[in-house]
Amino acid sequence: MGRGRVEHVFDALGDPGRRSLVEAVSSRGSATATELAAGLPVTRQAVAKQLAALADAGLLRATRSGRETRYEVTPEPLGEAVAWMVAMGARWDERLDRLGHVLSKRPSKGKAAR
Amino acid sequence: MQIEREIVFPASPAEVWEALTEPERLEEWFATEVELDARPGGEGVFRWGDGEERRALVREAEPEERLVLDWEDEGQVVLELEEVDGGTRVRVVERSPDWSTALELHALAWVAVA
Repeated sequence: MGRGRVEHVFDALGDPGRRSLVEAVSSRGSATATELAAGLPVTRQAVAKQLAALADAGLLRATRSGRETRYEVTPEPLGEAVAWMVAMGARWDERLDRLGHVLSKRPSKGKAAR
Repeated sequence: MQIEREIVFPASPAEVWEALTEPERLEEWFATEVELDARPGGEGVFRWGDGEERRALVREAEPEERLVLDWEDEGQVVLELEEVDGGTRVRVVERSPDWSTALELHALAWVAVA
């Protein structure tokens, strides 16, 4: 992790579009270029190129998923910001899982069962 | 920075709203001990088993549609409900206000190191 790596990371995050992609991948847990491009006024190819640059900088980890590449954030370079997202995301996943159980235990139709 | 989750529960918006706003229901999935006055301007106190306590102010409360809590320490939770085929879609956004600040600080730190 020498000077090259540091500059690489900074370059990767210097662009607001790439920063928002890191944010979008973080908020979703993981994402593909197709998923991210669906919500943006840019092509899938443009998003794929930016994602590859972010992976080169070590900010995202790429895994093959069928014909697509799926990306997730690597927590190390971003430190606390991403750690917060990962922890808070996991917390909400657990909460929503419990909420699902709570709601399925009370199959009331219209009237609240008490 | 923020995290987002979306999930469809096989329950009516009324049932989901009740689970999101009634203290005794919130204690089944969100926190261990809950006090909440789910009206705009109302206050909430949430306690967890590990001793964590968070206080909140109800910023918005549109029954069966939208609940926004401002955390006293900082940050915000937005819960949106939408009736869909087979149930209710719940969208959660939890925000911490220092996303850009955190990234800028990291970026500055990298510049300093370089």
